[in-house]
Amino acid sequence: MSTAALSHADTQGHHDHHEATGWKKYLWSLDHKIIGLQYLFSSLLFLFIGGGLALLLRWQLAFPSTQVMPDGNVGNPLSLAFINPQFYNALFTMHATVMVFLVVMPVLIGAFGNYLIPLKIGCGDMAFPLINELSYWVWLASGFIMLSGFFVAGGAAASGWTAYAPLSTVGAYNASSMGQSLWAIGLFINGLASIMGAFNYITTIVNMRAPGMGFFRMPLAVWALFITAFLLLLAVPVLSAAGAMLVLDLNFGTNFFNPAKGGQPLLWQHLFWFFGHPEVYIMILPAMGMVSDILSVNSRKPVFGYRAMVYAMIAIGFLGFVVWGHHMFVSGMNLVLSAAFGVSTMVIAVPSAIKTFNWLGTIWGGAIRFNTAMLNALAFVAMFVIGGFSGIFMASTPVNIFVHHTYFIVAHFHYVLFGGSIFAMFAAIYFWYPKMFGRLMNETLGKIHFALTFIFFNLCFFPMHNVGLGGMMRRIADPTVYEHLRALQPINQFITISAIALGFSQIIFLYNFFRSLRHGQPAGQNPWEATTLEWTVGSPPGHGNFAVTPTVYRGAYDYSVPGHPRDFIMQTEPPAPDQPSDSPSRLRPVPAG
Amino acid sequence: MLSLQRWLVWGIVFLGCVVTGSSTGWAEIRETSVWWLPRNVSNFGHEIDFIFYVILWLTGITAVLVFGTMIYFIVKYRHRAGVGAIHSHGNNTLEIVWTTIPVFIFLALAIYGNEMWARMRMETPPADALQVAIVGEQFGWNLRYPGPDGKLAKMDSHKITKENPFGIDPADPDGQDDFTTYNDMVIPVGKAVRLHLGSKDVIHSFYVPEFRLYQDMVPGRVYDFVWFKTDATGHFQLACNQLCGQGHYKMFGKLGVVPQEEYDLWAKGKAPAASTASTAAAPQNLSVANR
Repeated sequence: MSTAALSHADTQGHHDHHEATGWKKYLWSLDHKIIGLQYLFSSLLFLFIGGGLALLLRWQLAFPSTQVMPDGNVGNPLSLAFINPQFYNALFTMHATVMVFLVVMPVLIGAFGNYLIPLKIGCGDMAFPLINELSYWVWLASGFIMLSGFFVAGGAAASGWTAYAPLSTVGAYNASSMGQSLWAIGLFINGLASIMGAFNYITTIVNMRAPGMGFFRMPLAVWALFITAFLLLLAVPVLSAAGAMLVLDLNFGTNFFNPAKGGQPLLWQHLFWFFGHPEVYIMILPAMGMVSDILSVNSRKPVFGYRAMVYAMIAIGFLGFVVWGHHMFVSGMNLVLSAAFGVSTMVIAVPSAIKTFNWLGTIWGGAIRFNTAMLNALAFVAMFVIGGFSGIFMASTPVNIFVHHTYFIVAHFHYVLFGGSIFAMFAAIYFWYPKMFGRLMNETLGKIHFALTFIFFNLCFFPMHNVGLGGMMRRIADPTVYEHLRALQPINQFITISAIALGFSQIIFLYNFFRSLRHGQPAGQNPWEATTLEWTVGSPPGHGNFAVTPTVYRGAYDYSVPGHPRDFIMQTEPPAPDQPSDSPSRLRPVPAG
Repeated sequence: MLSLQRWLVWGIVFLGCVVTGSSTGWAEIRETSVWWLPRNVSNFGHEIDFIFYVILWLTGITAVLVFGTMIYFIVKYRHRAGVGAIHSHGNNTLEIVWTTIPVFIFLALAIYGNEMWARMRMETPPADALQVAIVGEQFGWNLRYPGPDGKLAKMDSHKITKENPFGIDPADPDGQDDFTTYNDMVIPVGKAVRLHLGSKDVIHSFYVPEFRLYQDMVPGRVYDFVWFKTDATGHFQLACNQLCGQGHYKMFGKLGVVPQEEYDLWAKGKAPAASTASTAAAPQNLSVANR
């Protein structure tokens, strides 16, 4: 670390911890950057576990082990005999659980949230470094607890990641009582980690911004993580409570959800989706924020409609709490309530539309640099648009009666989660990798990786719209038992092969990622010529981040300002005496700490 | 990169073999395109398809505009030596325009959809509708039809047990001539059908893509607001579309939409539930051969 001299700089006067050395640095460091990297590496590991589960379940769908062949034999000759229906159910349950709780949330919020927030707002560390590190280890433990279900009697949880009661809460119904309990316990612990992270982020952003870093000078990535932290803080405890009730029902004789003893199955759905819908935005808002920044930097233009973007995210945050019922249109809950949720769901599409238009506005008139980060960010916008469009079909209550729980919804949320969050994750990794490791990733390999991922992603997930409209249910272990689905089997095989190609394309990414750690081109302080505070310090930044607390004089997006010699102006650059670049009231430094 | 290309080529070859190889022999089962919606035979299905196409056109046109604009910008504003970006922080008029227009479009869609939703789900089903009770269980369908009196025994979700899947009072006079089937649903074409949906154990769901119909069946409740009318005969499958356990993937039943005469003949061949019940120890002799 070339900037070790910075490690004694106590920029905020609050963090009294010192830089850990040797192996301790990577196992028990209180430095937000190390914790961010811990999250990044662990969730990349989980990404490959979750992807492996996906490939296994796709294999079963293409070549079912239960398929009755034309010659009367059971089992497609290409099938994997160990995938029986119960194991298949466990595969998709754990695939979703791993991807949501151990990949998308920790990468976007754990890794980039931790790494970027202090660097971007100009402080030395998080407000509560010890709780930050604790949150990582608690989160990691929760992952192993959930995955340990595969090794207990009855196998892992097999009632879907939504774990609808009473299938999930009565051992006689789900035949995997122990795995289901481990799943719920893991989720509970995972929730603790999220809550610890969330209040830490909020405290840090509210209290520790550098002088001059007003709220409306914060980069959109920080705004997005700020709003996400509130969603986490309000939504996750509900899931934790529901998970605790599930464990009690399964093991200790309570009957919250068991109708045979007076419980209410729909109560589970209300609790789960009261968490589950804000969760959808928890997984996309940070992606939106980071993509906005990457689009702006690489277009050499300010974000179009910065304030509109902030207000749209705040609107999404509020509305996200009043749309959960659209997961339950056909659950049989009160029919007027369904209609009301239909309206709120249509309304929440508006801020998403505003964001899309502003992203287009951002690249309009730009001087666009097509590096790998930018390509992934543009793919995010395009795929998010498709995912948004398919969402409109399901928001319409009558159409939902037809497409609910089919592969149409599977296509929809993969366009938002993979096409959205995962492309944003790649964009963010390619973009901030030089800051994290001091070297650039290889651009040629990056572009090959991007092209293959983009092509196979679409080949894999777009046809799912079609099989869904064709009437294919999700969560069935063998489509060939249905007359009306047998004809769709070639499409299912096509999807599986595309999924495998998509999975193997990621090897290029891994190779690039690890090779560039040693062999990448040295990045320097500010390889992308960006304006925000993290690019004013070394790569990687030293312990404590800033030798001297920076003072912020302008917003985060001063690109291509007329009359300036360069096409970007750092946030720390004071305005020229004859040139008031910002209104006087907004110039006043904001008290920090 | 050579090995990469080789992988791609082999991948495409393999893909071609699989797709052509496995489509032979199955193509004739489905009369509509495998890439699109199956045929529809229900009254509400036509309306659902209509609003589906409205949204498809709306999103399709918007998609062409958005992606067209995006590609145009990407090409036109690519970085070129000596050409800088313009400096713009946004435009408030534009923000208002592209907020207002979606608000009206989405509200119109919501109102339009909910008007249909209300007609489908909240109006009283026709009085002359054929009443059919369907109770799901792991992993099959119990069905109960009214006898000549056209009345089903009253269902009480709290009385649903393993032995009494429909939760009825055995002494209910309306139920004496009812008959039951298992995994076998037959309905007359052109006649309104009203469903009474329940479940014995976990949540199941009634799903028939050719009816454009999905409805969860939640234990502890009986839903009687789903009704529909068919307009063509055919043989379909009644599928469970809510994960219900190990055997979920094969929880399906026969579903025939037949002319009224054929239905009458079929119904006449069924013995009333009361007569079979009297010989059985359990009040209803229905839990046969389902496990």
